[in-house]
Amino acid sequence: MTRFSRWLFEPAPLSRVALLRIAVYAFVVVDVLALHTSGWYHGFADPVWYQPLQAGRLLGLPAASVLLVEVLKWGSVGAALVAMTGRLPRATGWAVALTWSWYQYVAFSYGKVDHDRGDFVVALLLLPTVGIAHLRDDRRSQAAGFALRAVQLGAIATYLLSGVAKLRFGGPGWVNSATLLRAVVRRGSPVGEVFAQVPFVLHAMQWVLMVAELTSWVIFFLPERWRRLMVLAWYLFHAVTYATITIAFWPHLVMLLAFLPLERYRDRVVARWRARRVQATAT
Amino acid sequence: MTRTTSGRLSRAGLAWRAAVTLAVVGLAVNGSVRGNDVQWPFAPMSQFAFKVDLGGQIRSTYIEADTTAGTTVRVPLTAGGVGLGRAEVEGQLPRLVADPALLQSIAVAAARRHPDWPRYTKLRLRQEVSDLRGGEVVSTRTERLADWTVLDPTGLR
Repeated sequence: MTRFSRWLFEPAPLSRVALLRIAVYAFVVVDVLALHTSGWYHGFADPVWYQPLQAGRLLGLPAASVLLVEVLKWGSVGAALVAMTGRLPRATGWAVALTWSWYQYVAFSYGKVDHDRGDFVVALLLLPTVGIAHLRDDRRSQAAGFALRAVQLGAIATYLLSGVAKLRFGGPGWVNSATLLRAVVRRGSPVGEVFAQVPFVLHAMQWVLMVAELTSWVIFFLPERWRRLMVLAWYLFHAVTYATITIAFWPHLVMLLAFLPLERYRDRVVARWRARRVQATAT
Repeated sequence: MTRTTSGRLSRAGLAWRAAVTLAVVGLAVNGSVRGNDVQWPFAPMSQFAFKVDLGGQIRSTYIEADTTAGTTVRVPLTAGGVGLGRAEVEGQLPRLVADPALLQSIAVAAARRHPDWPRYTKLRLRQEVSDLRGGEVVSTRTERLADWTVLDPTGLR
């Protein structure tokens, strides 16, 4: 095996995949019910507004109807709830992948496409391929390692390709343009209003964003400790973005979890909680 | 089943994963470099990718409606609205301006989804234009894009 394929298929603990699954499928439930509902309300739009995407033309997907969006909505919620238990990981995982992706397709075939959701499709398609993964099974598997690696690659590719798109559509001058000001003016929040008064802050944020996106791939070459700090830095960046323009790339935030040793965090939290309980009963 | 008890993948398991990875990377790069939105999920990540001139304009689209109750309201282009979001109306703006009769479907959707709302009688498609100078908003004005008198407003269902 070459060095690259050893890296791509580096075995990882099954328990990490089990924990990521819980996060991913819990997110699906919250997302479908509360966060991203344009897939649902398109069921009420006149079919005249349906603008099929290539995938839809290829598969012959019809315009949304109230029945279709309800089936996709509750289908993905139901399948995700079962998937969270870790039972039937393949069947339920494929069911979530199918219904959620179709639901996003409905959301994006009415004139506007969001770009933070393609990578989540990768996560949904790969998690079932790991098969049974118990929360307490710390054995390492290549299937688990590949799924985690692919999710990491998807998350970082989203950043890198966002930078590429800015260069393609906005050109190098994008960093000195008023793109973030436009976002603030169009959908301002109280914090955003403050920033609109000091445009140089938004201007500086554009530089930070462009540099961070174009160098995001560095994360794969960093030592473990720095890698985690970089993930933390991205979370902070997204928190600031949400405060200023009320836009959060939610599914993407879940994808970033694939970089973290979730099972060790869990063990640490459980140990601390147990220690506190023992202390409480002792006194 | 590609996973063996030792946690190692079989040859076939490795092969299909490598092949799918290559294909997905290829499609994503192709979409980013020369594709467009229609290719989603392999579309360019073009949200917020467009340059806004420091001396240019920022446009926000909205639709205003007169109702059978004699009131004038903003048509909610949100989740609880008429089945379309603001960015989607903007994405299909050229169609709407060329054929304002499409606005009829918005009055119909409102009547169907919100039977208790007063019916829309007139719809006005407008844009709020903020003029920028040196990257700051210096003035705002309203631009008229299309008007539509709803056909048979009380009979909508």
